[in-house]
Amino acid sequence: MSSDFHLVAYLTGIVIISLFVNMGVSLYGMFARPSLIKKLIALTILSDTANVFAILVGYRRWPPGSIVKPPVLTELPPTPERVARFVSTAVDPLPQALVLTAIVIGLAVIIFLAVIIMQIYRTYGTTDVRLISKMRGERR
Amino acid sequence: MKYERALIAVAIVVFILVLSYAVTLGAMGSTLPPRDLRLLAKLYLWLAINPWTRNLTVMSPEAVTSIVWDFRGLDTFFETAVLYLAIIGTVAIYRGVYASSKSREVPISEDEVGMSPIAKSVTKITLPIVIAVAVAIALHGHLTPGGGFQGGSTAAVILLLVLVVFSLQYSIRMGITKGSTLALRSAGLLGIAVTSILVLILGLLVGCQSFIFQNQPKAYAPVGVPAFLDGMLVSGTLILFNIFECLAVAAGLTLTFILVLTHEEEIRSVMKGDRHE
Repeated sequence: MSSDFHLVAYLTGIVIISLFVNMGVSLYGMFARPSLIKKLIALTILSDTANVFAILVGYRRWPPGSIVKPPVLTELPPTPERVARFVSTAVDPLPQALVLTAIVIGLAVIIFLAVIIMQIYRTYGTTDVRLISKMRGERR
Repeated sequence: MKYERALIAVAIVVFILVLSYAVTLGAMGSTLPPRDLRLLAKLYLWLAINPWTRNLTVMSPEAVTSIVWDFRGLDTFFETAVLYLAIIGTVAIYRGVYASSKSREVPISEDEVGMSPIAKSVTKITLPIVIAVAVAIALHGHLTPGGGFQGGSTAAVILLLVLVVFSLQYSIRMGITKGSTLALRSAGLLGIAVTSILVLILGLLVGCQSFIFQNQPKAYAPVGVPAFLDGMLVSGTLILFNIFECLAVAAGLTLTFILVLTHEEEIRSVMKGDRHE
């Protein structure tokens, strides 16, 4: 039991630390890289990191002697005992519901941004924001 | 320039350290991962399927779907609106580019365009399988993890594969055009809108109180969509929402893929027209 707990604590620690490192790297990519494509890639990493973080907030610690279950009742038909056991082992469903829509919206927004970047490239011939800001709307 | 980058790096490191320290101290309500669930989460889990509390339950064993389309249905409605605003923005950028106009005139056979016969055969085999999986994910959205969004995304992936492997020209000849996907997407959105006011219409017809996004009968609104259909659990409006959302997401994403894959010369010629206005 004790070694199990240490393993879970260690793995959870790795997940949380790598989430924050990911967040820092993607923020640096968004602010410091001049290429719009690289900014877009960094944005996708940031949004995925934020989604995983939201899932982590909705997770729960393993209660002793049982394992955490997804928020889906698998034993049908429902009886009061089954529902009570379900409530005591399932993880928080609310962050999962929010992340579910966030992923699909993120996909559409990424497609939209990619199309805008393609259009910028067609118009200016570059995706470097330093060059684009110097052009001041003049076409190539 | 170098100082600027160093400043950005230091600022981000400080931000991340402050954020992680705040999370360690319990800024998310407790230390991560939480020891126990919040009361709200427990209520959602308790009421997802609970035939003894008929006035509050959703009658779906899937707590996530019951939140997405019932407890917080209005949230999802507006999130869907954001999704389609992004797609409408993409369509607006490509205004005047008709992906079908030129390609329809040239009669082409399947072998002349696209990738190798191996890729085409593999796509032909996987197409019905993936579509079946997508439909299964959407139809079982109220029973198992998944739902309209995920099913639609799965279907859009295989349609993207078809567009790339068989080439856009051939796909357009087979009927996957800007117009047809736009029509399918609009049909899906119309279905979602109608489903969201379905119980309201029922209530008006019967002459009792009812709400937008109502699913099961409530305390002062005794109408609702039946949770069981011929002994099968359908969870009222949830299955309708999932079907229409699957249709709308698959068609909407395919529409953007068609626009992104449009030939460069066609877009360039339209942009040239812009310049001479």
